Amino acid sequence: MAAPEASSAAVPTLMTNNTLRNAFGGVLSFFILLLIGVLAFSIRLFSVIKYESVIHEFDPYFNYRVTQFLTKNGIYEFWNWFDDRTWYPLGRVIGGTVYPGLTLTAGTIWWLLNSLNIPLSVETVCVFTAPIFSAFASWATYLLTKEVKGAGAGLTAAVLLAMVPSYISRSVAGSYDNEAVAIFALIFTFYLYIKTLNTGSLFYATLNSIAYFYMVCSWGGYTFIINLIPMHVLLCIVTGRYSSRLYIAYAPLVVLGTLLAALVPVVGFNAVMTSEHFASFLVFIIIHVVALVYYIKGILSPKMFKVAVTLVISAGLAVCCAVIAVLIALVASSPTKGWSGRSLSLLDPTYASKYIPIIASVSEHQPPTWPSYFMDINVLAFLVPAGIIACFLPLSDASSFVVLYIATSVYFSGVMVRLMLVLAPAACITSGIALSQAFDVFTRSIKFQLPGLSSNTEVDAGETSSATKEAQNDAVKTEKAEETSKDRPSRKSKKKEREHVEKPSTKTKAEKKRLLALPLEASVISLLLLVFLGAFYVVHCVWAAAEAYSAPSIVLTSHSHDGLHVFDDFREAYAWLRHNTDVDDKVASWWDYGYQTTAMANRTVIVDNNTWNNTHIATVGTAMSSPEKAAWEIFHSLDVKYILVVFGGLVGYPSDDINKFLWMVRIGGGVFPHIKEPDYLRDGQYRIDSQATPTMLNCLMYKLSYYRFVETDGKGFDRVRRTEIGKKYFKLTHFEEVFTTHHWMVRIYKLKPQKNRIRGKTKKSKSKTSSTSSSKRSERGLFRHGNVFGGKEAQNQFCISSILGLVPCATTGPPKRQI
Amino acid sequence: MGRSSSTKDAQALFHSLRSAYAATPVNLKIIDLYVGFAVFTALIQVVYMAIVGSFPFNSFLSGVLSCVGTAVLAVCLRIQVNKENKEFKDLPPERAFADFVLCNLVLHLVIMNFLG
Amino acid sequence: MGKLWVIFVASISIILPFLCNSFSPETPTDRRVLVLLDDFAIKSSHSLYFNSLKSRGFDLDFKLADDPKIALQRYGQYLYDALILFCPSIERFGGSIDLAAIINFVDSGHDLIIAADANASDLIREVATECGVEFDEDPSAMVIDHTSYAVSATEGDHTLIAGDDFIKSDVILGSKKIDAPVLFQGIGHSLNPSNSLVLKVLSASPAAYSANPKSKLSTPPSLTGSAISFVSIVQARNNARILITGSLSMFSNGFFRSHVQKAGSPTKHEKSGNEQFLTELSKWAFHERGHLKAVNVKHHKVGETDEPALYRINDDLEYSVEIYEWSGTSWEPYVADDVQVQFYMMSPYVLKTLLNNKKGLYSISFKVPDVYGVFQFKVEYQKLGYTSLSLSKQIPVRPYRHNEYERFIPTAYPYYGAAFSMMAGFFIFSFVHLYSK
Repeated sequence: MAAPEASSAAVPTLMTNNTLRNAFGGVLSFFILLLIGVLAFSIRLFSVIKYESVIHEFDPYFNYRVTQFLTKNGIYEFWNWFDDRTWYPLGRVIGGTVYPGLTLTAGTIWWLLNSLNIPLSVETVCVFTAPIFSAFASWATYLLTKEVKGAGAGLTAAVLLAMVPSYISRSVAGSYDNEAVAIFALIFTFYLYIKTLNTGSLFYATLNSIAYFYMVCSWGGYTFIINLIPMHVLLCIVTGRYSSRLYIAYAPLVVLGTLLAALVPVVGFNAVMTSEHFASFLVFIIIHVVALVYYIKGILSPKMFKVAVTLVISAGLAVCCAVIAVLIALVASSPTKGWSGRSLSLLDPTYASKYIPIIASVSEHQPPTWPSYFMDINVLAFLVPAGIIACFLPLSDASSFVVLYIATSVYFSGVMVRLMLVLAPAACITSGIALSQAFDVFTRSIKFQLPGLSSNTEVDAGETSSATKEAQNDAVKTEKAEETSKDRPSRKSKKKEREHVEKPSTKTKAEKKRLLALPLEASVISLLLLVFLGAFYVVHCVWAAAEAYSAPSIVLTSHSHDGLHVFDDFREAYAWLRHNTDVDDKVASWWDYGYQTTAMANRTVIVDNNTWNNTHIATVGTAMSSPEKAAWEIFHSLDVKYILVVFGGLVGYPSDDINKFLWMVRIGGGVFPHIKEPDYLRDGQYRIDSQATPTMLNCLMYKLSYYRFVETDGKGFDRVRRTEIGKKYFKLTHFEEVFTTHHWMVRIYKLKPQKNRIRGKTKKSKSKTSSTSSSKRSERGLFRHGNVFGGKEAQNQFCISSILGLVPCATTGPPKRQI
Repeated sequence: MGRSSSTKDAQALFHSLRSAYAATPVNLKIIDLYVGFAVFTALIQVVYMAIVGSFPFNSFLSGVLSCVGTAVLAVCLRIQVNKENKEFKDLPPERAFADFVLCNLVLHLVIMNFLG
Repeated sequence: MGKLWVIFVASISIILPFLCNSFSPETPTDRRVLVLLDDFAIKSSHSLYFNSLKSRGFDLDFKLADDPKIALQRYGQYLYDALILFCPSIERFGGSIDLAAIINFVDSGHDLIIAADANASDLIREVATECGVEFDEDPSAMVIDHTSYAVSATEGDHTLIAGDDFIKSDVILGSKKIDAPVLFQGIGHSLNPSNSLVLKVLSASPAAYSANPKSKLSTPPSLTGSAISFVSIVQARNNARILITGSLSMFSNGFFRSHVQKAGSPTKHEKSGNEQFLTELSKWAFHERGHLKAVNVKHHKVGETDEPALYRINDDLEYSVEIYEWSGTSWEPYVADDVQVQFYMMSPYVLKTLLNNKKGLYSISFKVPDVYGVFQFKVEYQKLGYTSLSLSKQIPVRPYRHNEYERFIPTAYPYYGAAFSMMAGFFIFSFVHLYSK
């Protein structure tokens, strides 16, 4: 550290002053980080406070069940677990199809706590895993941003990440899903990569590979890392920033990372065979070529080097082209060019809707709307562009990485709303950089202009300024003057500053500073406004966490004039199943409810949320779209005993099976061509009222949803579709209703067993047996009738004029049984 | 005549390369030898796989990747130990070697796990 | 009246001790039979048939069909094990019996014999339709056959038919061949060919048709040829057996004793085949023949004895089941060589014929296929005339555990060698590097 040419006597005091300041700063930042962790943890507890400590949604129930199995049976059983209670009758090899990171993490925490004699239940550990790891994630963000721009930016970014709503939405207490630990692993891996890049130490490269392994264990989104890092390496090479640190950062990661990724059973050989990983291998080869070129350039004279270059280019080009042609032929021979369906749908957003209806039907896979950006990252949407610019001045390897990260994640978040989650850390990092730079400028302007403090020019001289600076001062919130410094800039706090002096004399610097400092009042006001910006962000985040993202979705609430209504129908139905059916009974429902059924009702299901077998799901979809007899045949062949249907028409719950029905038709029709979507639409519109098509009115889903629905209000008014239903009075011939929950949200039906006798074809004559309806006059076998469907066929009553002309015709009013 | 000039250039290039390489210190040459050994083993395995087929693919993968990994790590060590390298002049060679050992340990642990 | 009442009470008190060994899975033969008659003359005119039943140990309870005191069940318990309806002209049953009660009776596993006649009422026709048999809709039609009629006193009366188109089944008709044709006079019925539960036991010849014998034929008859069935049996899915015929007089003493000569055939049989035919058929209908039970389903891995909870792919396992047949008095081992077991998961992966040891034990051993999933051991045995056996047992099949693969694969030795050589090289190199100057 070069000491400025001030009086030598001032140097020791300066040094002690600065070390004191550094120490104080270190302690302060430690406590700030602790508080950030507490903040991240507690803001996610709204769901526990408002509802209860329960696992949310669908996927977390599966993870919870797997964790239960792990804690009960140990890791070897978990590794080899063959689950026969799902995807009946195919079963599912859990050990090889699940990302084990989350369950192993929670299992380890539980085991650790239990061995310390803290008896927390597995459910509690699962519910609170996500908030704990979000605290870790904000600390990782601090570390990452510190590597890029310095501690002040780090703290700002950490605070922003602790509260950003899009991350909260997937890591609230109870949301026990892969992303809870995966985002932490993502940020941590990136931090270690940048650290290796900055220091060139092989130790951090090893840690980087291990963190990458943890990421592969946790989430399918690890392909983002293994494509982003090669892109960044390529970018560095292309922009002439190749250095041996880059090689050390990248090459061991590829080798070790591929090996470690292949260790995880879910990934297995995909780590080397699918196109998602080819980018890393390609860049691996490229970096070796570049390294070789640089090495040869280093040991040869320039003239010889030119010769070498021309030689290699002429000879090597042909070889290169041949190799590339072979590779392209190999990759192009597979229909999807080696990419998996989900990855392809990321690159080409229209791919899924054309070819794979299942992927297109998941609501998380739809593109986000513009307002959802503001909802999910709020104020950061404005700060990100400023942060990008701040990364360019000056451009280092780390800041170019951040720019690349934010650019790619913005693209991907625009394709799939689920990937807004990957955008969140990038947005927080760049906004943190921007905010801390802004604070930096303003506080230094203030400090510079306050008397008494400006004499410490040596201290002020910690900042350098480049010639290319624009110091506008028009708008206060949006325009920020950029400061550049090659070293770590000042902290967030106004009082402490570090001293790193690298540039020339302080006098010119001070002069430059005087020219480029902002006026005092402007700085103060803009500082205040920035604080308001932050406050607005905080308020929005807390509101989003409390109101929007804390709903467990297994329990619904609604406010009415007489208080809070709680709809606990799902758990009611699963408890009924659990207590009133045999252990080996099979339950068929749409795949959304599979995980919850196996976890809470403990019954075998046919399809569940894993959606790995399209044909099986299409079978269930076809059954739901077929008439009763055909559906009975399909379900009987699958040994199904009970059918579960979700219906929201009575209470206005919009995510019920009738709304999802068209997807069932599409998915079923994709495999069984006799199911055609236009058959269910009237003039291209999806209707269930009297204008609906006969196919729609006769399909199983319609019948099971609306059976006896007219008894609730006499008219059969569906609150979700906002019409009266088309066919109101009908009987079920092959199914019988066994349970309907309190608000009619879940309805359970049983398959009727096969008839004991097969009836002859002669129509039934009038029966003289016990009949409870009105008008009985038994005529003795003089004539037979057509089909008299006992019951209330008010609409379809037709008049059979008897030969004796005895009974008047009833077209309206209560139906009478005619003879 | 282009051909002859290019061959002459090639020969001159070859000579200069050789002389430049001979100037490198011994320990770096040892590392280069080690790297060459690793790459050679990898090539043998690839040829073997091309002949026999890739049945125990995990064994093939672990074998090849262990060779490639060893080579890469050795090159990293070489970079760090090379005295001409300005960026690493304040990195003690013992530290570089310790990192190298650690990384190799992790590599071999993973290879052992993946081999069977 | 008092006598009837005493008889009734006596029969009840006699029946009570037999409640425990009446129709039950252990002794499937029926014991108590309710016989509903149009009038008691039938009891004497069909006495040969009833005596044959009584001699086999059945308790027959004769009642008039419109007796107001008849009931099939009381307080949820069935009073009888079987029902014989010899009341073709009944319009409405007395007491608590009606169509629904009869149908429920059958659906709860009890047997039924129905005899219709030329004046069959709608009710009887309804009962028959519910069982899957459709009598001719024309109420005055009878079966007429101008080529297979029985030579009889009245000339030109071709409604008395000598039928000999029997179903070929030893189980249903007994092992002894019926030589003489069977006399039939009544209405015919037809079966739906897609109905798998009904069978024609005695069909009409191709020249038969169903029409009113007294009036001139105006339109072609709807029921003709071999589609007409004289006697049919129905075996419901719960193994209740129903015997339906369109001629009550087939059971009469007169037909039992009379001689028969089929038109166009020179042989004159002294005795018609009715007695033998109907006796054997009743034996079948009341579960004295052809009733199987399957017990003791066992499966285990070859070499072990207890049943595992799940198998692994490529395991060897053994499956065994015991099948017995009821001989009327006791359970005898059932011997057949066409009982098959499937190892089934949406389609049979393994289909094997079980080997039997002549003592009723059927077993086979096979290898679990290379597919994992939830399989079922399925035995679906449906032989003509026998009760259907439908057994299924669910068993999961898991894939290999991670340590059940081959430990060292010979083709991979070079790779092992390369990895170990790398480790050795690393070791040596580190020594060299550290200690070289």
